[in-house]
Parts: sequence; C-alpha cells; structure tokens
Amino acid sequence: MLDRRQFLKLGGAAAFATLFGGCEKTRKQIIPFVLPPENQVLGEALWYASACGQCPAGCGVVVRVSEGRAKKIEGNPLHPVNRGRLCARGQAALQALYHQERLSGPMKASGPRGSGNWQPVSWEEALSLLMTRLKNVRAEAPASLLMLTEPMRGHEGLVAGRFMKAFGSPHRVAWDPFGRDALLAACEAVHGVRDLPEYDIANARYLLSFSGDFLETWVSPVHYAEAYGRMRGSRETVRGKFLHFGPRLSMTAASADRYLQIAPGTEGVVALGISHVAIRDGLTPPAAAAGNLMAAGLSAYSPEAVEKRTGVRASDLARAAKEFFGNQPGLAIGGTACGSGAAGVFNHAAVELLNALSGSAGLPGGVSFPDRSRAYARYGAERSLLAPPPESGYAAVRDAAGKMRKGTFRMAILAGSSNPAFTLPPAMKFAEALSNVPFAVAFASFLDETSSLADLVLPVPTPMETWGDDIAPVGHGGAVTLRQPVVEPFRDARSMADVLLAAAAELGGESARALPWKSMRDCIEKNYDGPGERLEKALRDGGVFPSDAAPLRAMRKGAVLPPKAPREAAGAVDPGKYPLALHLYPSTALYDGRGANLPWLQELPDPLTTAMWRNWVELNPKTAERMGLADGDGVTIASPHGKITAHVAFNPGLAPDVAAMPTGQGHSRYGRAAVGRGENPFSLLPEAPEGGASGLALQAGRVALEKTALPTRLVRFAHPEGQWKLSNLM
Amino acid sequence: MKHKWAMAIDLDRCTGCGACVAACVAENNIPTVGEAEAGMGRLMQWIRVARYWDEEHAGANAVYLPVLCMQCERAPCETVCPVYATYHNDDGLNAMAYNRCVGTRYCANNCPYSVRVFNWRDHVWEKPLDEQLSPDLSVRSRGVMEKCTFCIQRIRRAKEAAAAEKRPIRDGEVAPACVQTCPPGALLFGDIEDPDSEISRKLSDPRRFRLMEHLGTEPRVWYLKRRKGAGL
Repeated sequence: MLDRRQFLKLGGAAAFATLFGGCEKTRKQIIPFVLPPENQVLGEALWYASACGQCPAGCGVVVRVSEGRAKKIEGNPLHPVNRGRLCARGQAALQALYHQERLSGPMKASGPRGSGNWQPVSWEEALSLLMTRLKNVRAEAPASLLMLTEPMRGHEGLVAGRFMKAFGSPHRVAWDPFGRDALLAACEAVHGVRDLPEYDIANARYLLSFSGDFLETWVSPVHYAEAYGRMRGSRETVRGKFLHFGPRLSMTAASADRYLQIAPGTEGVVALGISHVAIRDGLTPPAAAAGNLMAAGLSAYSPEAVEKRTGVRASDLARAAKEFFGNQPGLAIGGTACGSGAAGVFNHAAVELLNALSGSAGLPGGVSFPDRSRAYARYGAERSLLAPPPESGYAAVRDAAGKMRKGTFRMAILAGSSNPAFTLPPAMKFAEALSNVPFAVAFASFLDETSSLADLVLPVPTPMETWGDDIAPVGHGGAVTLRQPVVEPFRDARSMADVLLAAAAELGGESARALPWKSMRDCIEKNYDGPGERLEKALRDGGVFPSDAAPLRAMRKGAVLPPKAPREAAGAVDPGKYPLALHLYPSTALYDGRGANLPWLQELPDPLTTAMWRNWVELNPKTAERMGLADGDGVTIASPHGKITAHVAFNPGLAPDVAAMPTGQGHSRYGRAAVGRGENPFSLLPEAPEGGASGLALQAGRVALEKTALPTRLVRFAHPEGQWKLSNLM
Repeated sequence: MKHKWAMAIDLDRCTGCGACVAACVAENNIPTVGEAEAGMGRLMQWIRVARYWDEEHAGANAVYLPVLCMQCERAPCETVCPVYATYHNDDGLNAMAYNRCVGTRYCANNCPYSVRVFNWRDHVWEKPLDEQLSPDLSVRSRGVMEKCTFCIQRIRRAKEAAAAEKRPIRDGEVAPACVQTCPPGALLFGDIEDPDSEISRKLSDPRRFRLMEHLGTEPRVWYLKRRKGAGL
C-alpha cells in the first residue's frame, strides 16, 4: 500500500528524474536569446487524477503538476461523467488554488462580528477555542448546535452527518440555491422514483427542451454537452434533432434547431399540449393507457387553447408532437426555469409525462434512473448521507433562520460554497438571524458574505488538496470518484472533515465510536483499500469504475395521470405596478456566485450578451424601445422585495415583457474581483415562495424597471472582425 | 516526418460555452486585463467565441463561431513583419519569436481575422497566482504581439515522446488545450498530411468552409457548417 509520504516521495523522485534525467535524453543546448518557441526543451510533468469541486456535477479531472505546482486541469478521460471534457468553471479551479486572497491561517473576529476586522490565530488556539465551545454546548444543550453547509457527498457527508447525530443535534441543514426540488417531486409523481433522471442524450433521436439549460449550468453540464455532441455528430446516419421551448434565448436554446418562444412559466402547458395532440392523433404506443389521460384533464390542453396561453402556434405544437413521437427514442427535458415557482412541479411533471408516453423510458436514448446508492449500499440507511438527493433545503434553511432568531442555537458551524448570506432572499434576514447565535465558526477558503459573519474562520484546502470521494448525481454509471491531493496543501489549511474527526476523538464517547478514523485520508484508505493494490489503482484512475453498468431503478409502469395545474396564487403581484416578469438564471461563468472571485471567469464573455465583469439585465429590444431604454443604459430593477441597479443588455430572443438576469454578481465581500460588480439579483426574490413551491422562485416574480444614471458601463466583447454574412456560416 | 497541423470546428456541435477560452487562458499564461482595459478592446484571449445574431430567419437566434489564429499557409501577417518575429515553421505553423518582436503591430493590422493581441502593458500575476504559470512557455512582456500557437508546446511534447519511443506521432496524440476540453467535441485537431487521420476524414465533409476564403490566405482552420434539421 502506498501511504501519503511515499506517494509524495515517489512524485518528487519522478519529477527529479524527469527534470535532470530528461536533459540527457533530449538535446543539450544553450537557449539563444532569439528563441523560436518550438525549440524550447520542456520539463516533463506528472498528472494526478482527482475530482472537480467547482459545482455539484462531480466531474473527474486530471491535474498537470510540475515541480510541485498545479499547472493545468483537464477532464479525466476515464471518468464516465465528463469523459475527458471540462467546462470553463472547472478549468478555473486553478485560480482558486493560487488565489492571492485565499485564507492562509485561522482567524478570530476582533471587534463586532461581521465588521471585517480579524486577528490571526494559531491552529492550536483556534482548535482549543472550537473545542471549548463544542464541549460546553454538548454538556448543556447539544441540540443547540447548527451545521449549515452546501450538500455534501461521499464520506465527507457521512462524517458530517454522523458527527451531528453523535453530538445529539438534529439541526444539520444543507443549502443549494439551485436545488432540484420540483424535478424530484415530478419524477416521483410520474415515474415513481424520487431521484434525478438520467437523460441519455447521446442515443436520442429527438430532443424536446422546456427552458432546458443542460448545456450550460444544469445538473451536469459537461456530461450533457458531451452527450449532445455525440447526438449531433457521432452516428453514421442519424443526427439528433433538438427543439427548444422557453421564454429566453439562452445558450442552450441557441444550439437548438428551432427555438420557439413561450410566455414565461408556461412550459408545462406546452408539454401537455404536445401530449394532447399525441393522444388525439394516436401517436403514442397503445400500451401507455392513453385514453384515460384525456378524461383525467388532458382534454383541456387542445393546441388552440395552448396557443392562447403560451404563444406557440397550434401548428407548431402539432408538428412537434408528430416529430417527437415519430422519432423515438426521444427525450423531453425541463430546465431551471421549468422547475421554478408555484408551477414548478406541474411543469416538470408535464414534461416527464412526455417521457412516460414516449415508450422510450428505461431504454437507450430515453430517461432512466441508474441506482447510485449501490456504491454505498454497505451503509444501509446511512447511505443517504453519502448520496443525498439534490434538494435545495430551502424549507430547512428558513426554519433554521427562524430558530436562530428565537435563540434556539448556541453555536453554528458554517461551510461550503453555497454562501447563504448571499444567495438567500434578503427578506429572510439571514445575517441578522445569525447574529443571534452566540458563536459561529466558518470553514472557508475565502471570506465571502457568510464566512465574514463568523467569530472564527478556519481555512480549508481547495478540492485539489484534499482527500475524499464522491458520486455524481448523473452520468456516474455506478462509479465512485476519488479525490486526492494533487499538490501539497498550499496554505495552512485543514479540511472540515479532518477537524470534525479530530473533534469527535476529543469529545470521546459516542462521537469517537461513530467516527473511528484519524483523518479523511485514513477514512478513504480504510474504505477503498481491499486486498491487492486496489487503492493505488483507484487513485491512479481517479475512482472506482465498475465494468458493469449501474442497475436501473424500477420505474412506474402503466397509467400515469396528467399533473394538476397549480391554482393561481392568491394576492398575486399587481402587473400594473410591476409590468415585467423576472427571470433569474444561473450564470454560465459564475454559477450562483461562487465563481465571482476568479478573474478568469469574470473575464469570460457571456455567451449571449458577451458582457463581462459586471451585472446586466436582458430585455427584448422591442420592450426596451417601448420603455425608452437603450442597450447599455442603467436601470433600477424593483420587485416587491428589493431593488437593485444594472445595465440593460439586449437579447432579441427574449420574450417581450420579461427581464432576465444572471445570478452571481453583486458581492459585498468575496475579494477584489467580486466586489463592486453591480448588485445582487437574489435580493429581488421573495422570502416565501408562492404556492408552496420548495425552492427559490427564480423565474416567478415580477419587477418594474426605471431608467437610472449609473457611473459604470457594461463592457462587451464585440467581434472585432465585423459582421460577416451569416449565410456563409450556416 | 513532416506534419501539416490543422483544426476542424464543427459548428453543428459548438454550444458557445466558452470552455475553450478558459482552457486556453490556463494553458498559455494569458493574463486577465480587468474591466477597464477590456472596455478598451484589449482582451488578451487567443480564442474567442464570436456571437452573431441570426436575424435573417424568423425568431431571433444566436450563432456561435469560435475564432482563433487560422495558421494561414499564406499568412498576411508574416510578410509585413520588419524583424521576422512572425514566421512560418517546418510544420507550416505561423509561429512567433517573442524576443524578436518590436511591437510595430503591422501583423495585427494586416490580419483579416483580428486574432492577434498586443501586450499594451506588463501584466502582473499577483503572488501567488504566478505559481500556476506554465513553465513550458514564457510570459510575454509589454510591447510584444502574441496569438494562438496551436499549443506548440503540446506538439513539441508529443514529438519528443514519439522520438523517445522511436515511433511516429499517433493520430489524436496532440490536442491543443481548447480541443482537449471542448465538452461537445466541436473542435478536432490533427495532421492533414496523414490521409487516414480523423481530421482528414472529417474534412471530406461537404459542409466544410474556411473563413474569408476569397482572400487566398489558405487557413489551416476549417469550419463545418451547421446542419439544418428536416421538418420544423
């Protein structure tokens, strides 16, 4: 077995050998002053496999390491999720590793919490402070400990879950602003499985997207983009066709063969309209028990009725139905906008109904549910700690904020990139609520809006410096990804799991029994090192990749009912006062804001507007003209819940009377690259999602715009070659 | 062994995600310039994903076109350099010797594709961001022109590996950072001197075209037109 010391020694020896041994094999020469680049002699580098941590997709990566420094990240070609590919956010993880503002040691708040004044302390002092608090809380009221993190997977999740259980507190909350609550509920209702579906895009002949954003940010963008490429061009005779319905021309919509604009929030109505045509015209396989559907409410969705509500022509609906059901296997996919607001579950269920009717569910090119709990079956009921469903946790966070205000908690542990103080609606007053907790400790690499509110900040290593394991939400094929440090920790950082394990050992008793490992590394080694060289191979490959595919979870067979339309929310916002529908979407570069401190991502032109370094609000040029707004103008965007400013950017494919904004900008803390780039669109959202939806209402609010002079300007990347004729490109 | 490196960009696969841009920045020590400089059109990125509005058809749509140095066989940039800083190498690549460049910017002026970027100032990598810099290529200083090299350091690496094992370079062994990372596999790189290489086969597709072919620059970057689906 290879232990860490040996591993690093070997790595060092190999680097030494290539550096100095390499000189003998290649030509020796004095490098001339005027040097053509192809004559440079290169040192050879080492590649280490690990797991990406930039978003919840769980891609496998390999990192090029030269002289002990990480130089380049690439997708791991062996990994089933991304098959060697990687997105811009994954590439940019290097900048987080070597960021100049990364925390280099533990810090204690000096002065009032949140004031931004810190005093560096040693790890000994920091840990003794932490342990004193933990021991006090456990002795007096163990249930008053709160742990608020992003969703954690693999043994890291197990360690956190067991720690809290053994400690005696039920208050473990995981927050993900883009949780897929509506999709999970819809899949349970339609397919009988409460899990994320896996869409086999690569083998599909037809793709119907309902505000889908699977090529940019949704669930597993690299996995789906890679499959999309194969759907388009890797089969001899079939080029998969792609039709997109949605209110906004997004990056994903732009890839479609045809983009059909719909009124915001009507994705489900369109999907039911397609089902209606399919059943009326006898396009679905008879086994789908189609007749009952009409009786159960589908009859109300005739193409003409749907056209009135959504703006999609009845003839287009009829042709979509004919093409979709005539070109199976096909897929219907809903995206972030589809699952948002009070109609979220209805929309997703209507879309999934198409998958259920298509007859391709469970087959290649269709929708299926590979069982990812197999990898952790040995943990029985605890396996949901290692592979939790990708929920937002919104209700739990709101509950926790209420309890904070009531003084229920005596101590809070904060961790993860989902940054609740930034991503939660301001009406929840998270920061204020947290100030009622007497002691808060944050595990963080950077001071963001959340970690700045802590009494004690403990620096954690970046994913490239930690041990861990992971199972991806989709595309995993049953594989567990292993994470190993590819470079020595660059900062004096300790992972949260390591600190919790040490704390559990010191607390003793039940905690120590539940967490018998010395460190995460010890935990990974004990779990993955069987007879032979299993761990060594797994670390070399970047994971444990089983040769057989993961078994599929059984889906419901037989009669499916069309979802019930949600009732109109009572006390809806006055469209006279707030004339535009708000459409927030995850930024391609910054995601929920976690990428905003990396200059590489700030300077990545947005695919649609080509804007960078600043926030904008997209408008249809015709809507803007009516309002007297020009491209680049400053505006104030007001919702009933908040008010922010941004610059106008035209999107000619956006539905009229919609204001679309990317999330991610508007940080008040999070380093120089992130601060002062506009204001935070999350602050336009209501606290209580309307109609009982369980996640953030990203695309369900209303806003009013007012022209405002701003001292800034929106920088765009125009194409310097001028506009060529498109007919030459297509 | 002679090579003719070429790239094929399948617009039917490109989604416009920008992964190629980030990969290029990471691989080639490309600085970020900040908001103010970017506003002056001084971005240093070697590859851009140009976005066009397709307004000729009903319903506006965006069309993406990744543009990088075309590595022209008859490159207009080479003939105007007074100091031979940009020149044609044995593989037919349009290479740059940074140390020769005196910053006349004639080459950028003469490039119809506008793919050359100029170092208007000395870019700083604040410590410890410089730890990420690749040792395989230099950091360019103020007054120097730069552009895409087809990741010449990767070609070099593959050549050395092949030479050490006394074999020719295998098809697919070399991939520039943009090609390697492209999620939908829109970019393909290879040797068109080898008639059996994947790129040679790909370029037999009648969808192929080159940018501004009428100028006679003979680019080594081919594009494959988007396909139109039947029906809707």
